[in-house]
Parts: sequence; C-alpha cells; structure tokens
Amino acid sequence: MNNAVLNSRVASDPVSYDDSDSPQLIKLRGVVKSYNDGALTVMDHLDLDMHAHERLVIIGPSGSGKSSLLRVMMGLEGIQEGTIDFLGTQYITGTRNKPQKLDPRLQRQIGMVFQHYTLFPHLSVLGNLMLAPTKVHGWTKAQATERATQLLARLGLESKLHAYPSQLSGGQKQRVAIARALMLEPKLMLFDEVTSALDPEMVVEVQNVMLKLAEQKMAMIIVTHDMHFARHIATRVVFCANGKIVEQGPPEQIFTNPKEARTREFLEKVVIFD
Amino acid sequence: MEYQLDFAFLSGSAPDLLEGLWVTVRLAIAANAMGLTLGFALCLMAMSHWALVRWPAQMFIEFFRCTPALLQIIWFFYCLPFLFEVYIDPIPMGILALGLNLTAFNAEAYRAGVQAVPRDHLDASIALGLRPWQRTIYVVLPQALRSAMPVLMTNGISILQQSALVAIVAVGDLMYVGKDIATQNYRPLETYTLVALIYFLLSLPIARLAHVIERRQDAVVER
Amino acid sequence: MNVNFSIVLEYWPVLLRGLGMTVAITMTCALVGSLAGFILSLARTSGNRMLSYPASLYVEFFRGTPLLIQLFWVFFCFPIVLGLSVAPIVSVCIALILYMAAITCETFRGALKSISSDQYDACTALGLSAGVRVTYVIFPQALLRAIPPLLSNVISLFKESALISSVGIADLMFVGQNLSNSTARPIEFLTAVALIYFVVAFPLTRLVGWVERRMLRRFS
Repeated sequence: MNNAVLNSRVASDPVSYDDSDSPQLIKLRGVVKSYNDGALTVMDHLDLDMHAHERLVIIGPSGSGKSSLLRVMMGLEGIQEGTIDFLGTQYITGTRNKPQKLDPRLQRQIGMVFQHYTLFPHLSVLGNLMLAPTKVHGWTKAQATERATQLLARLGLESKLHAYPSQLSGGQKQRVAIARALMLEPKLMLFDEVTSALDPEMVVEVQNVMLKLAEQKMAMIIVTHDMHFARHIATRVVFCANGKIVEQGPPEQIFTNPKEARTREFLEKVVIFD
Repeated sequence: MEYQLDFAFLSGSAPDLLEGLWVTVRLAIAANAMGLTLGFALCLMAMSHWALVRWPAQMFIEFFRCTPALLQIIWFFYCLPFLFEVYIDPIPMGILALGLNLTAFNAEAYRAGVQAVPRDHLDASIALGLRPWQRTIYVVLPQALRSAMPVLMTNGISILQQSALVAIVAVGDLMYVGKDIATQNYRPLETYTLVALIYFLLSLPIARLAHVIERRQDAVVER
Repeated sequence: MNVNFSIVLEYWPVLLRGLGMTVAITMTCALVGSLAGFILSLARTSGNRMLSYPASLYVEFFRGTPLLIQLFWVFFCFPIVLGLSVAPIVSVCIALILYMAAITCETFRGALKSISSDQYDACTALGLSAGVRVTYVIFPQALLRAIPPLLSNVISLFKESALISSVGIADLMFVGQNLSNSTARPIEFLTAVALIYFVVAFPLTRLVGWVERRMLRRFS
C-alpha cells in the first residue's frame, strides 16, 4: 500500500533517484507484434527491462509502435511471439492466431490513461472511480467513496465528485481518468499521449499530476510528443523506430548527446536545440 | 390440423398479380418523384426567414408526420372530392396522397442534411466571399443531399410499403389484387405469402443500396 | 356543401373510447415489442451465426414488407398454420408486436454500435469482467442512447395501429370511419379523428426532440 501517493507539493525540478537496486518490474523478451498478417510490424523482437520506481518515456516517429507497446502491456492487444514478465512472474506469452493469454491477477496491478479521456459518460465522477473497485474487487461503497474522495481532493477535484464527464474541462477529465486508474493502487501506470488532445492551458495541470506521482516513486511508462516534459519526468528515455529500440539512456544523454544517427535525426526534427 | 399448401392455383392469377404489381410500381415511382422534388422545396420553405412562409410549411410537415398514413389516404379519397368538388381518378388520387405524405417526411430528411453541414464550412464560404445563394448551391446543397441520401432512400422504400394502404380504398394495386385472390380461392396463406415476398423483393435491392451508401459515408466521416 | 363540426361533439364519448383502444393496444405492443426487439438485437449482434443470421432475416423481412400484409398474414394465416382459432384482438397484437420487435431491434443495434471502442479499452484497463462491462458500462449507455429513437418507434406504432381498423378492431380509426359512414359526414369525422391523432402524436415528437438534445449535451 502506498498511501503517500500524491502529496500536495508540486515538483519543480527534474525528479530522479538511483534505482539500480530496486526490484525488476517488467521484462520483455523477443516480443513480436504485427498487423495484417505481418504486413506491418510494430514490435520486432523487442527486449526491454524496467525496474520499480523507474519512469520510462518512449519517443519515436509515429507508427513506431509506441502506443502498441502500452496497449500490449495493458492486455488490450495480443502479441504473436515472445514473453512479458511482470513482478517476476510470467504475464503475457505470444500466441499466433489464438486468443491472447495473460494473467488477469497481474493485469489488475497496471493502470492506464488514454489520449481520449474514455470516462464513462453516463456515470458521475464518483461513479467512474467506484465502478471497478466495487463491482470487481468487492470493496464496500463506503471504502470506495472514501478512497475516491481522498484521491480527488489531492487532485483538486473535490468539488466535482458528483459532476458528469460532460460538465468537465478536458484537463479535469484527464485528471479524473488518472484518479480512476489510481483507485486500485497499481504498481505500474501507463500514459498513452494523455495530453495530446488537450488545449495548451490544460496540459500543465495534467502534467503536474504526473509529476506528483513521480515524486511518490510511481513506476510509469509514458508515451508523449512533448520532449520538454519527457526530459523533465523521465528517468530513462527509450527511442523506438521500426518496431525496435534504437537507443535508450538517461534523458540528459539522449537529448544532448545521442549516440545513434537515427536518434539525432529524429530529435532534430522535433526539438529546437540551443 | 393438416393443411395442404398449394401454390399452383396462383399461376392462373399471374396476369392479375402482374397488373396489380404494375399499379404498385407506378404509385411508388410517382410518389417518390413528388416527394423528392416537393420535399426539397418544402424544406427550403420550412427553413425560411419569413414566418409567413415558414409557418404553413412547418404545419404541413408536422400534420403529415403526426397522423396515420391510412387516415390521410381515406381523407383524400372521401373528403377532397366533397370539399373542392373535383373528381380525381383513384390512381392519381393515390399518388397525390402518398406523394404529399412522402413530401413531408423527405422535407425533414433534407432539413437534417442541411443542419449536418459543418458550421466551419459556412464560415469558410463566407471567408471566401461567396454570396448567400452561392453558399446554398455550392456548399450546403451538395453536402446536404449526400448526407440525406440514405434517409431519402429509406423513406422511398417505406412509401412503397405504405402504398399497400390504397387497397383499403379499392385501388387495384398488388395488395388489393392479393386480397381479392385470397378471398376468391379461400387460400390466404399462399396468396399473402407470395404478395409479401413480392414486396420484399421489390424493396430489398434499394434497402441494400441505402445500406452501402450509409456505410461508405460513415467511413468517410471517420477518416 | 356545408360543414358542421358540432356533430362531432355529440359522438365525443364514442371517439374517446376508440382512442382508448388505440392507446391500450399501442402501449401493450410497444412494451412487449421493445423487449422482444432488445432480445432480437442481442441475437443479431452476437458472434454466433446460428443466432445472428435468422435474426437479420427476420428484421429485413419485417422492414421490407408492408405492415398491412403482415397484419393480414397473421390475421388470416396464423389460425391456418397453427390449426386453432385466435381472437382478432390477439391476432392484431401479435402482428404489431412482431413489427415493433423488428424496428426496435435496429434501434438497439444502432445504439450498441455507437459506443466507441475507447469505452471497451477503458473497461479492459480497469480489469472489468465481461458481466460488469455489459451491465454497468455498455448496456446503460446503449439504453440512454436508444431512448429517443425508441420513443419515435412508439409514435410510429401509434400511427400504424390505425391499420387494425381494416380487420374490424374498434380503434379510433375504425370508430371514426364508422361514424363518418353512418352519419354521412366524412369531412367532419375524418378531420376530427386526424386532429385527435395529431394532438397525441405531436407533443410526443416534441418530447423526442427535447430528450435528444438533452442526451447530446450529456454525451458531448
């Protein structure tokens, strides 16, 4: 239980700490994923390791399989080959032409936030937060309400408890979506371009929430096009292209001194160097 | 109870059925011609800025949409000749009743199409300096027609089916001929099944086409 | 000729009784038909071809043939096929229910289709089981979205129910026609009957529009 998640202080400096001896969280080995019978390969024998308390930011050109990686880890899409371990246990194994095999007990410990809010429009904010805990995990209504109220208060949304999604701004919706994913105290949070659909003035309020989570050492994998934010929040940046990891390392190294030509080429297109 | 199905007797009635079918087809085509043209005119009237034009048009639409088609047909056949002291042949009268009914429904379909034209497109055409009538003709009309097409086709099919109602006022359409044959031969099961099949086969290709157009439009909107 | 509507007032109770019959049959058939339509839509959208194919055929057939012939078919042919006598009122109710089920099936199918795949993704991400997903996320949204078209279906049924007069059920249409024949005053009575249908149906169409706008606001 990590009840200290989300204290009220906003991080102003890049947060980082040594995580070399924290336990292994995720291990991908030889993961292959393709669409249309192999016509489009988005993950090509991918290997990736991640420790608890790490924050990976995945960057790369569009179509490089960044979102697919998150969707696979969440169990939304299957893989054809390879294995994914989570918390030291086998979580997903690749299957060809067969329904996805994954361990649902492990799936429950991962939370995900999407680009398009995906709040349930017919349920209030509280209803959205309480649905999974009460209907799937047997929490009582009182327990769920208490946790939801706590979470929303920390996100500055206590007044929106009974509001419906359509009455919220984009930034508020996305913060509610984050709160909803946090209800079950996941060990890993996945963020799939969560600020891409937002108006600029709302981006920061969502990013601040993510930085608060970072301070609380929440393990995260983030896909974003915002290189400034990537540099700020990442403990490690992973550059993907054509379904492969081209280069990875601490943000300072990737953004100021990339080793691979393809990384440099990509960054020159999306970042203005001093 | 054992009932022996016998479709053979129907072959003797084939000429009658064909004649009835021809009346039905004529009713449906003429009513659609009326509905498609007058419906658009009525739609423009119902969206007019002048209340004197808009009000009667809206009344017309609402009245035809909110009363049973059967009642409209019976009203036309029994009341129109008295009220205006005119005599109209049964088939033209049937076309008039069905056509005006369809006019009201199609006017609504056109209106929904006009309203579905994105606001941005109007802004853009104003920014490009198009005059109001140019906006209507070059920007609004093509898009409205496009998005109204599936509904217009569905309405067209339902008027084909509603045309069966003229049988109740003794117009010799497919339904009327079928009723006649069923009563004369005491074989309602075979006759009504065959008549239902004919109606079904008439509307099936149009329904399929409307479905295809709708799906294509959905695909365009998504990407 | 002179038109005198005061005669309609004399027969007011008879017309009201006819309206009562029309409303009672509409409500009964709308309720049962909607339920049947919902079950049918589940069959039609299910992955099982043994279920979806017959359901599709049913819907296509009932939407592709005139209600009048469906009514005649049930009225005259059901007793032959089943080999037992069926009361007229039961016959017409069966016909209207079968028709309502077909159009309502399409309404529910449209509502189910309009729920975006994002909603399904969110359910998976939250670890919701299939049962919870359908009961608490998909079904409530589909039902809410289906309310305006469902109401429209009921209005259609209200109007289409006038056809049952052709097999001798004493509904509003039947009573109106009878009165217009027996008093030889078609203009007064048929117009009055039209107005009664209008007075019931028109506010309902406004209600549909109002509900629809509210839904749009809620789901925008």
